[in-house]
Amino acid sequence: MSHLSINNLSKTYPNGVKALDNVSIELENGMFGLLGPNGAGKSSLMRTIATLQDADTGSVTLDDINIFTQPEELRKVLGYLPQEFGVYPRISAEQLLNHLAILKGFTNGKERKEMVKYLLDKVNLYDKRNKSVKGFSGGMKQRVGIAQALIGNPKLIIVDEPTAGLDPSERNRFYNLLADVGKEVIVILSTHIVDDVRELCTKMAIMDQGQIVYQGAPQESLDELKGMVYQKIVSRDSLEEYAVNYSIISNKMVGGQPVIHILSETDPGNGFEQVRPNLEDVFFSKINTANTLV
Amino acid sequence: MFKTFFFGELRYSLRQPMVYIFLLIIGLLVFGATASDNVTIGGAVGNVYRNSPYTLGQYTSIMTLFGLLMATAFFNYAALREHNHNFNEILFTTPLGKAGYFFGRFFGALILGTVPMLGIFLGMIIGTYVAPVAGWVDAERYTSFTAEMFINNYFLFILPNMFFAGAIIYGLAKKFKSTVISFVGSLIIVVVYALAGSLTSDIENETIAGLTDIFAISTYDITTKYYTSVERNTLSPGFSGLLLYNRLLWVGIGTIILLLSYFSFSFKEKSKKVKKTVEAKVVKPITAFSLPKATSSFSAKTEWLQFKSFFAVNFLSIVKSVPFKILSLFSVIIIIGDFVAGFEYFGLKSYPLTYKMLDLINENAEIFVTIIVVFFSGELVWRDRGSKINEVIDATPHTSFTSLAAKAISLVGIASIIHIVLIFFSALYQLLNGFTRVEFDVYFLDFLYGNFPLYMVMSGIMIFVQVLLNNRYVGYFIGLLLVYGTRIVFSIIDVESNMLLVFGGPSIRYSDMNSFGPGLKGAIWFNLYWMLFSLVCLFLAGILWNRGLLTGLFDKIKHAKKNISKPIIAGFALSLAAFITVGSYVYYNTQVLNTYRTSDVREELAVKYEKTYKKYDGIPMPKITDAKYNIDIFPKERNAKVNAKLVLTNENEVAIDSLHFILDDDWETELLIPNSTKVLYDEEFGYVIYKLESPLQPEQSLAIEIKNSYTTKGFKNTRGSASIVNNGTFLNNGEILPSFGYQKGGEISDKNTRKKYGLPPKDRTPALSIQDTTLLRKNYITDGTGDYINVESVISTTSDQVAIAPGSLIKKWKKDGRSYYHYKLDQASLNFYSFISADFKIASRKWNGIDIEVYYDEKHPENVERMLDAVQRSLEYYTKNFGPYYHKQCRIIEFPRYASFAQAFPGTMPYSEAIGFVIDLENETENNVVDAVIAHEMGHQYWAHQLLGANMQGGTMLSESFAEYSSLMTMKGISKTPMKMREFLKYDHDRYLRGRTGETEKELPLYKVENQGYIHYGKGSVVLYALQDYIGEEKVNRSLRNFLAEYRYKSDPYPTSLDYLRHLKKVVPDSLNYLITDLFKEITLFDNRLKEASYSKKSNGKYEVSLQIESFKIKADSIGNERKVATKDWIDVGVYADDAEKKLLFEKRIRIDQPKMNVRFEVDTIPAKAAIDPRHLLIDRVYNDNIKRLKTTE
Repeated sequence: MSHLSINNLSKTYPNGVKALDNVSIELENGMFGLLGPNGAGKSSLMRTIATLQDADTGSVTLDDINIFTQPEELRKVLGYLPQEFGVYPRISAEQLLNHLAILKGFTNGKERKEMVKYLLDKVNLYDKRNKSVKGFSGGMKQRVGIAQALIGNPKLIIVDEPTAGLDPSERNRFYNLLADVGKEVIVILSTHIVDDVRELCTKMAIMDQGQIVYQGAPQESLDELKGMVYQKIVSRDSLEEYAVNYSIISNKMVGGQPVIHILSETDPGNGFEQVRPNLEDVFFSKINTANTLV
Repeated sequence: MFKTFFFGELRYSLRQPMVYIFLLIIGLLVFGATASDNVTIGGAVGNVYRNSPYTLGQYTSIMTLFGLLMATAFFNYAALREHNHNFNEILFTTPLGKAGYFFGRFFGALILGTVPMLGIFLGMIIGTYVAPVAGWVDAERYTSFTAEMFINNYFLFILPNMFFAGAIIYGLAKKFKSTVISFVGSLIIVVVYALAGSLTSDIENETIAGLTDIFAISTYDITTKYYTSVERNTLSPGFSGLLLYNRLLWVGIGTIILLLSYFSFSFKEKSKKVKKTVEAKVVKPITAFSLPKATSSFSAKTEWLQFKSFFAVNFLSIVKSVPFKILSLFSVIIIIGDFVAGFEYFGLKSYPLTYKMLDLINENAEIFVTIIVVFFSGELVWRDRGSKINEVIDATPHTSFTSLAAKAISLVGIASIIHIVLIFFSALYQLLNGFTRVEFDVYFLDFLYGNFPLYMVMSGIMIFVQVLLNNRYVGYFIGLLLVYGTRIVFSIIDVESNMLLVFGGPSIRYSDMNSFGPGLKGAIWFNLYWMLFSLVCLFLAGILWNRGLLTGLFDKIKHAKKNISKPIIAGFALSLAAFITVGSYVYYNTQVLNTYRTSDVREELAVKYEKTYKKYDGIPMPKITDAKYNIDIFPKERNAKVNAKLVLTNENEVAIDSLHFILDDDWETELLIPNSTKVLYDEEFGYVIYKLESPLQPEQSLAIEIKNSYTTKGFKNTRGSASIVNNGTFLNNGEILPSFGYQKGGEISDKNTRKKYGLPPKDRTPALSIQDTTLLRKNYITDGTGDYINVESVISTTSDQVAIAPGSLIKKWKKDGRSYYHYKLDQASLNFYSFISADFKIASRKWNGIDIEVYYDEKHPENVERMLDAVQRSLEYYTKNFGPYYHKQCRIIEFPRYASFAQAFPGTMPYSEAIGFVIDLENETENNVVDAVIAHEMGHQYWAHQLLGANMQGGTMLSESFAEYSSLMTMKGISKTPMKMREFLKYDHDRYLRGRTGETEKELPLYKVENQGYIHYGKGSVVLYALQDYIGEEKVNRSLRNFLAEYRYKSDPYPTSLDYLRHLKKVVPDSLNYLITDLFKEITLFDNRLKEASYSKKSNGKYEVSLQIESFKIKADSIGNERKVATKDWIDVGVYADDAEKKLLFEKRIRIDQPKMNVRFEVDTIPAKAAIDPRHLLIDRVYNDNIKRLKTTE
């Protein structure tokens, strides 16, 4: 059982943006979802854990590896799929994976070959293994990215927005793969898609403006809101009015009509009906604490 | 809309630092060139002001090449800004006008691109005002500026060049949307420029060269090639003639390219040609993930595998890339272009020797591969980021050093591939030419000693620069500056140690005789030194390379410790230690064991020398009247031991109480002078004075002995002397003995430098005079240290070599594995001779009791027979026309190509392997330069060795001009047509006219020539050839014969040019008396022109030719001011039978007495072309306009 411990991580960019603000998370084997809106600092956190960026203060350790002082050690057990995954021109999928496998220390040629083949098969690219990756569609490239992150049973897998560009069936396939792998190792999945987390993760955190605004199991977060979420279909013109009078956590369009969710410990009446909270409500309730219209 | 984009472009870029960085750098370069004596770009010498219009024109046209780099950056940015920022789809869907957008951006970038070039003007203006105030350069070296200078340069060079380059780059960028392609585009421009230049290097094709030069650099050179100092100082490049046509041509082509690009440009995104990999939807059952077992391990083997994998990925990516393919193709095209241009040498071609091929390869490789290494260093360092795979790669457990080292080695790999391809084509060319002595070992070793280490060093350093600077373009610029700019900076701060100049070291030059030569040992050590330096750089780069997010330099240093692992530390420390160790050894050899003086130090020493010892200049000295040498040459060790027994005789009218010598640093000298005491030894200059116990009375003699030895120790900062080498030792008597008395040669000669140090103007060659009897007792070669003397030598060398000294071989023996030779002169000769040792083959022939011998390297037998012929032909002509030959042998002796000249010593003529021995004469049936050089040196056996001018003005005319004349006459004797001689003399015309433009003091008429090569060779040839054409060969020969008879081997007095003119006057008819004045006593030029030329068929079947000619005679003063004078001269007019002007159909000498004249004459067959002065006898700055194709007037 591995243990990743992030303690009081802070990072301010030269332009004054606080990317990480005192972030602390404890992780063990299993899938960990990191939710947050764009610009919340998810990628900064991922890159920091992946040894690609420094923090101003704080520490990160994986078991007994301190990633700031022993980045090399962490890299040996890391699988990383960054948000933007590009490929070299004029190189085939197999060559690329083989190259990366060598970089990850797999020196036995035969074993390496087997592994690469297996991974290509797993991401459904075995038939395309000799084709130039540059000519792949976005989804296929992403699958190459997934395959490389899985090279050699890493102890820590970090995937940053992995399902962007995948069609639903590929997304399923990938999640199955991740879930499979995630039983044994720590997988950090960063996403802004709430469903991803619900489907996959046993634990999660919500990030906003560099801070962890929530941390726990998805179910626990739902439990917290149990009986407190109400919804109502309202007219466009009255939205402002509702915003003043209720703590709105979200508003979205359903069939051309705004549907608002509000948070209330008591039944607000006024046509609101109680609904079962979903993860989206959790998400919005955590990041939309000012209760503004979003 | 145009305005929006135009000013938008300006605003955007003017906020970026790039434009200012470029401006600053160019400004600094030109400022340095204007304000410092140590920087030279082009040539501002002597009488030309440092800020003259000519100088500015040169700077501007040269800087254009730098400008190209900027053009690429600016135009590429301008074209691709939206694209790079993924803003194109947004912008192009807005309703903007295509023309406004397209041209707005273009012209914005155009104006911007010219901004850094204004640094040329600023640098020069600031330099002009700062340098005199700061006391760097005298104010007299500057002139005032005119607005025209700047306006013309801007509109003739800067703007059109930027426009043309911009049109191509902008067009390419718009079309391909790839920075790489844009760069390739600019490289192609450079390549085409170089290619056109190399194909049109001969003076034959000047007009074509002038028109095809994209940047008008050579066009400017051509239009100004005969400019005198006055013209250089006053004339700005003008909107006229060749320059204007060139500009119109290229701006026109640029416009067409721009328009083509405009019409093919569309806002719509071209559907990208992506080979769509269509996916077959096979739904596979999802099985549990169980990765096959594979174990990772991290050891040295892993690093090695990682290195190999990185190498393969990088190397293949370059090899497969379009730019690489294009660049390789172009390097091949260039070298083939070079092959086609051949190894031209005065209209002849050299055999395709391996070393000639090496010269071509290295020339190409140095420039071309440098570009490739610099360009791809940026490409490789930034390609992970460019491909957005950097985060994945960076997060893998490899050391950054491994990755960077693999990149460096990939660069070496691609450079080597191009090199090998060039070798392949070179060898192929050799074989196709039927030249079978293809030396692959030489190709290989040359690569190993020269370019391979160069590529290693460049790669490491360039990668380091890229890593350090974080910006690809700035990296390119700084990288190039580091390689080329440091030389300029170091020359300013007077640093000459090759340990500080990137890839500095002794030069190696392959010679068939002496292989890689004396620089090899040093070069190998320097190579090692620089390769270790590069390795240290690479380790540093590995340490500073930051993974993941790019940070500034400070952050890099702060976080460097993360990249430091034990093996890296160990590697870094080890390479640093090795670097320091090798560096120390190199330092020991170049600064301790051997020393050198920087140019500033040498200059200061020369000043001190002159100030201290000038007082001894001209003091009475004895002359050497007899010499016996014992010389031992040790070629393998590169050592020599000399023992000279000299007899000195006081030929002055006063007693001499002391002897002055100057010892050479490189030699260990022991002077044995009986009954004397050393009263002065100045170690700094090697100046020694011996006081004689009893003064040497007039006519009294003194025997002295000199022991002198030269020992080669370690290696030097530069190649050093190539006099004593493994095979091809060539020493003259001046080198093996200390100098006698104060040497004027040690003084600073540049008049401006002298002024700077407060030295009076340098003594000029003494004025021509037949009164000064002291001067008439000294000739200009030995300058009073000796006249015609007897020399006897015993010279030894290793047994596999032959040693040669002046005179007949008396005896030859072997002792202790060494060969000894005893030589003795048969005729007292000038105290000026050589000693040579090499592994020779000897060809000989006897002619009238004279041994004609050629000593040659066994690799060069081709021309030996012809050389014997040439010597014999000269002997025949000279003995018949001038008088007897007094030596018993004529020796031509080959020496290695460290110098390319031939020289005449008594009976002995060392001849460089680079000229003559390697020229392909197989298809030459007529006169050629190889024969000409031999005939010239043979001429010196009379003109210099039998009769030598006094040391005053006009002295060299009597030897050099007469030797040239003698040579021309032997050429003329075997020429089948008179036109062949014109072809030959063309080089002399050019030599003279070009030479006078570079005059730093003043041009003198021939009879007062002051050892000025362009006058005594160039003008001398032309003038004497014209003379014999006007008065007749026999008359000229008679004057020479009589002159020689009067002064043969005579040293009291030596003759002057006036003495010759006295003899000449006797043979010149009164009607042509003006020739003596025009040809010898004044600087005379002609401006002849054929205005109209036509012919018509006459009823008698003949053709009447009608010519309208224009002729001006011009007299020039010493700095090139000209005035037209009245003409009453005889000038030829004639017609050629063919367009190639090979056959002169008719020629008539007419008297020109007015500037414009009409001439008519009849010829038998249809003429093709007509000319005034059809055989080019007269000096005419523009000869082309003398000839015209005839029109028919039916």
